[in-house]
Amino acid sequence: MTTSIAPERVKAPLIPPSTHRYAEVIHRLEAGGSMLPDTPENLQQIIGIYKAYAVPMDFYWRDLLYIAERVFLNPLPAFKYFISQEYLDRPCSYSGEQSKLRIWRGGEKAHPELLEFMERGETRRMPKLLHHLWHDRVNMEFAEACMQAMLWHQGMGGRFNDYLESDAYKANADRAIKAYFRGNPLMLGLYKLFPEMFLEQVRQLSYAANLGLFWEVMAPVFFEMSDLFDEGKLTTVPQAMDFLVNGIFAVAGRPIYHHVYIGDECIEIIPKSEGFTWLYEAALPYVEAVFYRTSPFRGTKSYNAQAQQVPDNQADFHYGILYADVYPVGSAGIPPTLLMQDMLHFLPPYLKEIYREHRRGEEDELVQLGITFQRSMYNVTSAVIQALRCALLYPLDDTDPEHLMANRQFFEAQMDRFLRPEARLSDIQSQDYR
Amino acid sequence: MTLLLLFLIPLLAACGLQLLPPASPWVRRTALAASLAQLATAVVAWRLPPADVSLSWLPKLGLRLDLGMDGLSLPLVLLAALITAMAVLATPLEQQRARLFYGLLLATNVGLMGAFLARNALLFVLAYELILIPTTLLVAIWGGERRAGAAIRFLIYGAVSGIALLTAVLAFGWLNPGGLDFSFAALASHRIPPDQQRILLALVLLAFGLKLPMVPLHGWQPLTYSQAPTPVAMLLSGAVSKLGAYGLLRFGIGFLPDAWSDGSAWIAAIGAVTAIYGALNAIAQLDMRRLVAYSSLGHMGFLLLALAAATPLSLQGVMAQILAHGLIIALLFCLVGLVETKTGTAQIPELSGLLNAQRGLPFTMGLMLLALMAAAGVPGQAGFVAELLVFEGSWVAYPIPTLVCLLSSGFTAVYAVRLFNRVGFGRLDNAKANWASTSWVERAPALVLTALVLVGGIWPTLLTGLSETATAPLALRSSEAVTVIASAASLAPSQLPA
Repeated sequence: MTTSIAPERVKAPLIPPSTHRYAEVIHRLEAGGSMLPDTPENLQQIIGIYKAYAVPMDFYWRDLLYIAERVFLNPLPAFKYFISQEYLDRPCSYSGEQSKLRIWRGGEKAHPELLEFMERGETRRMPKLLHHLWHDRVNMEFAEACMQAMLWHQGMGGRFNDYLESDAYKANADRAIKAYFRGNPLMLGLYKLFPEMFLEQVRQLSYAANLGLFWEVMAPVFFEMSDLFDEGKLTTVPQAMDFLVNGIFAVAGRPIYHHVYIGDECIEIIPKSEGFTWLYEAALPYVEAVFYRTSPFRGTKSYNAQAQQVPDNQADFHYGILYADVYPVGSAGIPPTLLMQDMLHFLPPYLKEIYREHRRGEEDELVQLGITFQRSMYNVTSAVIQALRCALLYPLDDTDPEHLMANRQFFEAQMDRFLRPEARLSDIQSQDYR
Repeated sequence: MTLLLLFLIPLLAACGLQLLPPASPWVRRTALAASLAQLATAVVAWRLPPADVSLSWLPKLGLRLDLGMDGLSLPLVLLAALITAMAVLATPLEQQRARLFYGLLLATNVGLMGAFLARNALLFVLAYELILIPTTLLVAIWGGERRAGAAIRFLIYGAVSGIALLTAVLAFGWLNPGGLDFSFAALASHRIPPDQQRILLALVLLAFGLKLPMVPLHGWQPLTYSQAPTPVAMLLSGAVSKLGAYGLLRFGIGFLPDAWSDGSAWIAAIGAVTAIYGALNAIAQLDMRRLVAYSSLGHMGFLLLALAAATPLSLQGVMAQILAHGLIIALLFCLVGLVETKTGTAQIPELSGLLNAQRGLPFTMGLMLLALMAAAGVPGQAGFVAELLVFEGSWVAYPIPTLVCLLSSGFTAVYAVRLFNRVGFGRLDNAKANWASTSWVERAPALVLTALVLVGGIWPTLLTGLSETATAPLALRSSEAVTVIASAASLAPSQLPA
């Protein structure tokens, strides 16, 4: 008697393959993957850079909230980057013993590596003012540029921007402005003469609070990803992306608000009761403005502007990190130079080793780092796309072809945004892009 | 002894190199040490003027080993020694067949020293011809893709130049009423009749016009300069081509003053044509090496103009231009060579964004900006001083050719800006920019040359002081010229005040 073994049945796909230019990426997304190919080096690169990003980000969010809540309308804000001890010790809302919603591990105060860097910089221990003037510090200018990009593009989804034009907001801002300048007839007189100018400043500060609250979430997420990788618990790029997706859902409904502290008084310019949430009012506008668009870099012409590539229509801006030419350092996109310089101080050893082995080694570490950052942000954007698909469409393992086709159309629409020649999506598919 | 050392050091080193193991690092070290020792000896000779050497060699032929150094030859000896040292330094560490390569470089240097130190026309011819052999081999063996054609063309043009010079020198000897004596002193003491001078000048112009080169005798130059390896291009353009100007000054103005005066208007016109032709061609080039080659041709036009004018100031300009151009053109070839080594191409359309601080060649391009500015005659650099002297000195004699040369000087700025704009600025292509940055060893020759170009710009005496007293007696125009020529005619150039 003979026995025959039936060939393993290959499950036929429920929908035909995509014919999109990025079909390979779309199929990867449909399989639960990321726009970034799943390779060990890609995983090392993105986790390493998340760690290096998280440390300065821990400063960014604290200082942004310090500026929005304490510095506020100081007409001479020369010391706005000299964060107070209170804000350095301010418990993170999502990690540590005192957190309001403890989701991630890690402490609630500023990260020890950040404190050490603030103390010594890359030079030596010296007074804070000298570190500042020597530019041996965390570059808050980068954080402010991101905030200004959000303000400049506005209307990137959600209700937040519309609220800044509402009477309720204006009334709260008016109360805060008058309270802040109480006993200062000169500034109150100016406010009387140019009320819109002051209101616009407050709107900008509201965006500072918005971005600060957004990054308050992201910093502990990135720290934990780095820890998990070190422990061997994150082993693939899709796992890293899933961690981000889960994080997004965990805090999606957390409030976005803007409070100002004047003396002992707390004025709620945007109260929590307005119901602005982290995902729709901060995360998505941030991704839209900073990852895709960004704004012209103030005070200088960007590289692409010199090449007359700046569009007349603001909606056509595509200079975000997903499109940025990281290569000529300090050029288009978010002003990456400052962030890259910040991240350079906190690179984990394995990432330094990768850079040492390629291109010019330590000499062009800044460029290699910038390109790694681009890779990592494609992974974060993948997480956002998957989160949106989860929220708005259907599971990836759905068996209904119509649902799968709806998912396909969603992914294809997202990929259409990378059909522009400036997009770096095709570049990051290759490990040689460094 | 010092003069003999200038010969013997490179000669012995070139021979000694062949005894070393082929891949030994001592090959390069020995060549470098020899060239630096020669440079040091030349500096000593500058500070402590050496006694002339006169040894009998082949008396029946009138050939003697007469060596001397006056104000005309001293700057050229210094220049040749310096450019040779820089060429050795600019040679890649992993040079193939290094013993032969360095040996031939040093052999070229021996020929140059012989020509510049010779006080005997026949000895000059021998040295002049000697240079042709190693330089042809250097281009033929280590040149670019079209090296065979370049070497053959260089050899043919060089051979014609050599034959013309030999004919002229033999005629100098035969026409000497005192017998077969080729010493410079004898040639200077006898004034050849004007009609015979004209024939000799035609030969001299052919010989040195080919070497310089000048239009229309320049056919070898763009191809040879573009195909020669970088150190050889530096040596050819920085030192060997200067033999042409030196020869015209020494033989043309020095020994054939009447014919030179008669034909100087034509020479000035050829100078103007050469200048404008070189500059316009440089603008049209897509290859950096060819651009620099045509730039060099254009500057040779300035030299011809100043030689034709032959005023005291213009002759000072000639010497200043020889030095300044020697430094600048060697620097430009050195930098272009660096760019080519790193990027793999010298094609202008294929390059952009090299000023990129992280992945470009910012240091090299920074120096190139200075070199291009110097070539364009921007104040503060050696090129400005030289061009100012040339134009100021030539204006009184030939205003229209001077204006044409001034115009071509303007074109120099055009191709300099065009080159730098395309190669230095723009976007650096990430896919292509996968090269290492330059090391300090690679930068060293360019740094030394740049420093000298800058020093020459802010301390012009360096360019003119060495030769001022030697050029003044050669001037054919100006109120003093007649008396000076009369007195100079009775003196050998070696007896002129240095």
